Amino acid sequence: MRSLNSISVLLLMFLGSMTVAAQTAQPKATPPPPAPPRSVEFPKPVESTLANGLRVIVVERPNSPLVAAQIVIRNGGEVDPDGLSGLADLTAGLLTKGTEKRSAPDIAEAIEALGGSLDSGAGWDSSRASVNVLSSKVAPAMEILADIVRRPTFHEEELERLRQQYRDNITLEMGNPGSIARYVAARVVFGDAPYGHPLSGTSESIAKITRGDIVKLHAAYYRPDNAILVFGGDIKAKDAFSLAERFFGDWKKPATPLPAAASGSAKAETTKEARVVVVDKPDAGQAAVVVARTGINRRHPDYYSGIVANSVLSGYSGRLNQEIRIKRGLSYGAGSTLETRRDIGPFAASAQTKNESGAEVAALLIGEVGRLATAPLPDAELVPRKAVLMGGFSRNLETVTGIVAQVAALALHDLSLDEINRYIASVQAVTEDDVRKFASSRLGAGGTNIIIVGNAKAFLPELSKHYKEIEVIPLGELDLNSGQLRRAPTSATQ
Amino acid sequence: MPRKTRILCALFLAFVLAPALLPETAAQVTMPRLNFQERKLDNGLRILSAADHSSPTVAIQVWYHVGSKDDPTGRSGFAHLFEHIMFKSTRNMPSEMIDRLTEDVGGFNNAFTADDVTVYFEVVPSNYLETLLWAEADRLSGLNIDDQNFKSERDVVKEEFRQRILAPPYGRLFYLIEQKSFTRHPYQRPGIGSIEDLDAASLEDVREFHATFYRPDNVTLVVVGDFGQKQLDAWVDKYFGPISKPTRPLPRVTVKEPSRSAEKRFVEYGQNVPLPAVAMTYLTPAKSDPDADALKVAEAILSSGDSSRLYNSLVYEQQIAQEAFGQSDLREDLGLFILGAILASDKKPEEAERALLAEIKKMQDAPVTAAELEKAKNQIITNQVRERETSNGKALALGEAAVLLGDPNRVNTDLARLQAVTAADVQRVMKKYFMDANRLVLHYLPESARTEKPPAEKTGTHQIQSGQHITTGGRAQ
Repeated sequence: MRSLNSISVLLLMFLGSMTVAAQTAQPKATPPPPAPPRSVEFPKPVESTLANGLRVIVVERPNSPLVAAQIVIRNGGEVDPDGLSGLADLTAGLLTKGTEKRSAPDIAEAIEALGGSLDSGAGWDSSRASVNVLSSKVAPAMEILADIVRRPTFHEEELERLRQQYRDNITLEMGNPGSIARYVAARVVFGDAPYGHPLSGTSESIAKITRGDIVKLHAAYYRPDNAILVFGGDIKAKDAFSLAERFFGDWKKPATPLPAAASGSAKAETTKEARVVVVDKPDAGQAAVVVARTGINRRHPDYYSGIVANSVLSGYSGRLNQEIRIKRGLSYGAGSTLETRRDIGPFAASAQTKNESGAEVAALLIGEVGRLATAPLPDAELVPRKAVLMGGFSRNLETVTGIVAQVAALALHDLSLDEINRYIASVQAVTEDDVRKFASSRLGAGGTNIIIVGNAKAFLPELSKHYKEIEVIPLGELDLNSGQLRRAPTSATQ
Repeated sequence: MPRKTRILCALFLAFVLAPALLPETAAQVTMPRLNFQERKLDNGLRILSAADHSSPTVAIQVWYHVGSKDDPTGRSGFAHLFEHIMFKSTRNMPSEMIDRLTEDVGGFNNAFTADDVTVYFEVVPSNYLETLLWAEADRLSGLNIDDQNFKSERDVVKEEFRQRILAPPYGRLFYLIEQKSFTRHPYQRPGIGSIEDLDAASLEDVREFHATFYRPDNVTLVVVGDFGQKQLDAWVDKYFGPISKPTRPLPRVTVKEPSRSAEKRFVEYGQNVPLPAVAMTYLTPAKSDPDADALKVAEAILSSGDSSRLYNSLVYEQQIAQEAFGQSDLREDLGLFILGAILASDKKPEEAERALLAEIKKMQDAPVTAAELEKAKNQIITNQVRERETSNGKALALGEAAVLLGDPNRVNTDLARLQAVTAADVQRVMKKYFMDANRLVLHYLPESARTEKPPAEKTGTHQIQSGQHITTGGRAQ
């Protein structure tokens, strides 16, 4: 166990100077300038590892009488076997649906009687179960958390119930152009590599998953030497460590070694001809437009250049919104994400617009991503976009759930927990050159795919003027089970 | 993954203001007291402030007591469109300058329009407090919008309409619930408006609306975070003090919604309805009514979490619904209790309706258990502690208590009111408001379920004129 004394790291936040650029109207008065900035200190995480290999991390932050705790399993959807997409998510979802001593309703009743919340689910590279309760209720909540992670029973009846909910949810998602576009984008970017499949499965894969598959995944990955427990909030580190020992100390580490790591994006790196994919949904109330490609992994040395580059594009005053929303009124909001994972994750820029504007918005998105590598990025623009990142990071640490999520992400990627206190300086250090270099080497427009989901006849004529090879897939023929995306005509049953 | 079955709920609840609540009483769980100062300027502007130096940031909120119910005739959606216009040029600021003063320095801003209020808010590093007070005073004192900016922002709002109402499954369901549930009160009009009414709005409407409602005696300024009280008071006097109060009276909605005398039923069809849905509403009293607390407890017992009665019965045991919801949606003039379900595959709306009615009857026939009562209170209090983790959350609680409940002290006194609710109170409000004659039932079905041909009118975005009251935010993301 390391020192419990938090070392104050003083940092200057929010160094962004006000940049009141000359705009159309002539201001009659100027705003009063800011006072000198105040310093900020972030809480310092402390940690300890139990004898069974479980890593326990605590961040004390007593501002509000709340505690959040999360157990992170270091594998998620990327280990779904071929044809069984959704297995890791279904497994995590079933944790709260029955243990050796509690039925699903018992679990809900137990946590909710405390006023607390309990959630579980899988993401890419991790599966999680978490609680958020008043600090006076933390011990009983931890008992429930340990119970669901260690002793789930995966009853057939609960599996069927959840299977039906997943099916219904897929039906719902397939009615929403924005969700369809995200699923298709993942397949286009990653093809048949694990990151390409829908995290929550397809109607075909969900139908195939058996209880045996679930038990096997749980036995292989849910083990103390493959898990991290993070506490944040109104709790003393020594009390958190003792709760960890009490509820997880006798969690046995299997004698078998951990399964070999799988690469989420490996195959995607080699396949790469940019695609233009249109999913035709004639009744769509709006078109969803996504341009997407591979980005970087979380441990990449250019991580900070990447998130600054993304911030130049994204956010309310980012370039995408300036061009698409503010100048042209084409969308309620445009944005981009650089999702960093254990392996190379996706970069995507997106907006929803009226069907008629689908092609125009695609061109604007592609244009702005490309311009990032070439156009000047003066300090008047760069400094504010960095301030956006720093402010958002600091605000994330204002809630116990936010603190736990940040720390858990660092731990998951085997990064130093001190990075919390280096974030601001790392963002500050990014230069115009760094951003341009990142954009040209990682976001070069050549490998960028275009996906539009909407009423195709409204935007296809315009799109065809710019692209020769467009794959037009009627929604009924869309197949998310493979990178091909299209059902063989003979099996087009929907 | 549990999130996925909650999409609709999350969407819906996200637009509902955080309810205000309380200090410490003899109850099992308590919450920290929120200490605040209250002042009023000679021009009628009210200021609520609460210092908290735990983080070098400050939240500033400006609550205008004007909302979608105040939309001018033939201009549904105008209060919300106007909210967007407030980010364009003002007396001393060019368009989007508020973003320069917030986003560019590591803060953020946004705004939302609800039925009864419009709220502008920002969170900034605390050394920018004076700058933002200047900016908020500036847009209160006058706008300076040109036609081009007005039209492009109106297009943004039309895309917001498409994104919220037309694109997602069930976007139109909540729009319809509002429209059908009220017969006379302007709550029946869509907060987001209609394409036609938005197109009809003019710059003249903008000027008139600002002159009518954006005046100091219609404002509550809330400041929470890292500031010194004396310094704040001096800045408020300097920037807001000189703004004069118009002599003409503030118009207020006085229309009374008649009580319902018989059950009303509607069947509506939509283009994008993956699974049928059923919704029912009951008219309930105003937010300030003493029955509000018992209705809040009833809401929690019916619908809060996987151990709630609706989830247990409709989703878990009978598997009639993939999602069930119940919400006590109380507003300034009167409220709605909304219950409903998105059906599971192959289930009929009639089955869901019967199951919902059976749950209501159970609540009327027997008192809830002591354990359920305690659980509901623990859930409500824990949620409110969470909502108040941030300065912005504390400011929302203060603003809501002051503007919608008429007394900022309710942020600290509501806990006792909640703790006082008994099982008998819950049973009493269930009998009082959930009568057959006070019920409206809406079945929302896919076009493919129509037995007769659809009417000959052409379909498309421009046909949709019905409304929804949901609070609409100014900025996506």
